[in-house]
Amino acid sequence: MSTQNQNQNGYMLLFRGTDLRKSLSPDEMQKVSEQWMAWFKRLTDEGKAVAGQPLEREGKVVSGKQRIVSDGPFAESKEAIGGYFLLDVATMDEALAIARECPGLPYDIQVEVRPVAAECPIAADVRKEARFAQV
Amino acid sequence: MLLFSGNEWYKELSHDEIQNVISQTKAWFDRLNAQGKIKDGQPLARKGAIVSGKNGQSVSDGPFAESKEAIGGYLLLDVETMEEAIAIARTNPALAYGTVIEIRPVAGECPLDARARESALQEQLANV
Repeated sequence: MSTQNQNQNGYMLLFRGTDLRKSLSPDEMQKVSEQWMAWFKRLTDEGKAVAGQPLEREGKVVSGKQRIVSDGPFAESKEAIGGYFLLDVATMDEALAIARECPGLPYDIQVEVRPVAAECPIAADVRKEARFAQV
Repeated sequence: MLLFSGNEWYKELSHDEIQNVISQTKAWFDRLNAQGKIKDGQPLARKGAIVSGKNGQSVSDGPFAESKEAIGGYLLLDVETMEEAIAIARTNPALAYGTVIEIRPVAGECPLDARARESALQEQLANV
């Protein structure tokens, strides 16, 4: 069993807040983008980043029994996800240390750090419940 | 990329119903995988942390699992068009129980770069 702070499945960084344009000049944007790419390259060279991609700003959302398709998320939203990294590190502390290096932080980007799960947490709960029920 | 949220659906269902949705979702994933439509995909643990502030000095717990917006997992699809990605998302069995799926094209380059170029061009045009 993994302890709370150990996770063999790695961590995902989700970068939230994609609307830097309003606060930055083209030169500054270019600079942040270069810093970001250099950061990702270093993490890849160190074997700490195993994947990572930016997402286009536009997208769609599917929801409900009728499977309705709508536009979203809105790029202006502070919560909109702009991209992700998948990290091959074993502890939350390591993942947090990497998240703190994100070049977007001074520009209001938030980094969500999430342990990757070995299996669907809901399925794990159901199994646990079933075990208790048998006792 | 498909991002799954609204992952508290199971709270209103019976044990058997939950099991049923899980089996259906697993079959859905296996079928897409067998068709070569999936590049990558993983569930995320419910707990996490959010780093923010100028030098990342602020670390808070989150997102909260109860939040409708919390992401519970992702799938990276190997498809060419938004239409195909939407068609796949619409076949997800958990949609009927409140799961919400965000569909986002993966960008070829950092959108910041593209925007920097765009803004520079606009400035140039404005100066003409």
